[in-house]
Amino acid sequence: MEVSFKHNGVEIEDTFAEGFGMWGSRLIITAVTQKWANIAATSLTGYATSVIACDCEAAIEREIPPEESPDGRPGIAVMIYGFSRGKLSASILNRLGQCVLTCPSTAVFNGLPEEEADAMLDIGKSIRFFGDGFQVKMRMGDGWHQRKRFWRIPVMEGEFLIEEKIGAKKAVAGGNFLVMGATEEATLKASEAAIEAIHEVPGVVTPFPGGLCRSGSKVGSTYAFLRASTNTPFCPAIKHSLKDSKIPEGVNSVLEVVINGLDEESVMKAMGVGVDAATKVPGVTWITAVNFEGKLGKFQMSLKESLGGI
Amino acid sequence: MRKLVLKPKGFSKIPIEAEVISPDIIGGKTLPEVKALSVQYGNKVHSLSEFFDVGGRIAKTPDEQDIVVDGDASHVKYIGKGMTTGRIVVQGDAGMHTGSQMKGGSITVTGNIADWTGAEMKGGLLRVLGDAGNLLGAAYRGSSDGMTGGCIVVNGSVGSEVASFMRRGMIVVLGDTGPFTGVHMNGGEIFVFGKVGRRAGAQAKGNGGFIACFGGIDELLPTYRYDTTFTPTFMRLYLRQLAGNLGIDVATSYIDKPMRRYRGDLAVGGNAEILVAEKA
Repeated sequence: MEVSFKHNGVEIEDTFAEGFGMWGSRLIITAVTQKWANIAATSLTGYATSVIACDCEAAIEREIPPEESPDGRPGIAVMIYGFSRGKLSASILNRLGQCVLTCPSTAVFNGLPEEEADAMLDIGKSIRFFGDGFQVKMRMGDGWHQRKRFWRIPVMEGEFLIEEKIGAKKAVAGGNFLVMGATEEATLKASEAAIEAIHEVPGVVTPFPGGLCRSGSKVGSTYAFLRASTNTPFCPAIKHSLKDSKIPEGVNSVLEVVINGLDEESVMKAMGVGVDAATKVPGVTWITAVNFEGKLGKFQMSLKESLGGI
Repeated sequence: MRKLVLKPKGFSKIPIEAEVISPDIIGGKTLPEVKALSVQYGNKVHSLSEFFDVGGRIAKTPDEQDIVVDGDASHVKYIGKGMTTGRIVVQGDAGMHTGSQMKGGSITVTGNIADWTGAEMKGGLLRVLGDAGNLLGAAYRGSSDGMTGGCIVVNGSVGSEVASFMRRGMIVVLGDTGPFTGVHMNGGEIFVFGKVGRRAGAQAKGNGGFIACFGGIDELLPTYRYDTTFTPTFMRLYLRQLAGNLGIDVATSYIDKPMRRYRGDLAVGGNAEILVAEKA
């Protein structure tokens, strides 16, 4: 470790997380109960941890109480990120079609208003064809209130309701930090505290399982057929077998927190509150972040600056 | 908002055609100019001040103009015709064609209102606290486009041919409707909390248009076919909008109430919907 500073008594490497641009979108799924909204969201965001091998990155942002949801039913906000507008659109369409349209009682609403979005994706407008000609266009607010368009698609259970357009914007992926601890238990506990704090920040998600990635990866591999392999410099088990190990003395476990957000400011804030929460747990000895010396993405999110923002 | 008050000088059996009572026309003028505005009385042209006491303040722009017609204006036609912004309040009854072809702003009538109110309306909000006559929000004869936007709310009951040839927008009636509600409708939403008159939705083509009947319906045309009884999620959005944006609290009592769905008018190959709330 090079230059470092202390926060809550824990060494923080003065480095940055290297983020890159993606297109992001927010959907609001409602259902007859919170249970069914959550089931739909969990299914929708499955197998969407990293674009290394998934079609998109997706996760649950937060549950939405009935009094805040568009139709007065329990809801849940999910965010989906794709490498391009087209890929994002395709992922949303496929995932909605297979995981939400099929889920009992659900309805889908746009969670990114047009004034905040860089583009409006024709999601409902495309999925309507599933109605096989019996879909019904629903109009609201023409000429007197906020104009909205929906599609009502007949399904075996009753009707599936979806907003015609879903907002998307240029977003930031790859915000991260590594929690390093003396034991696996302490590292996991600290990382859980970080995730809990991050979920209080609007506009960000943590797409890995439970928000945590235990097998951070590096680009390339000894094996030519692999695009990515285990992040050897940060594997404590081989720290003395590797010349360029970055594991400080006393560290025996590392977990990575990966954050995607609708803008750099939100990701920075999430990094800050996450690091702050993690460093309050005994047994955490170091925090650092992963970057590729500026070769991967245009966003350089400093740990020091992120902590300054909380 | 600047408030201009027009007090009718009395009732006339011959109607006055006063489309000049509009924020678009009055806003930006001086008081003498407003007094001199032309109105049609029979086959003669008169000035506005011959029929109204004119007082109050005039805004520089129409969107800041508030017009109050203080008294019975049931003999005054075309109030707010084609208006795009501002506000008109009629404290009493209003005559035919009030708010016809209006595009924006709001009109509130505290009494009753005559035929052709909101005819061919394109936008804005029109509220009637009493009853309305026939052809509310309808298309003028010979036209195939009725309402194409905006919202009309009537607290009382309305006459026949409500929303004929309706294409977009919303009509809410808290009382009963007369015959031929939504005749020829091709889009738009009609909510009736009283009883819907006979032959509703005749010749309706659909295009997402529906008539929601919360207080029952006199009879259904045989050219409407029963599909199902369900609790549509989309209806929650409308009912919440009625309560939240228009203050129609009774709407929330129908959330999640089962509705019978009928589709027609099959006589014209239509797919409009008549949704009838199940009795409690």
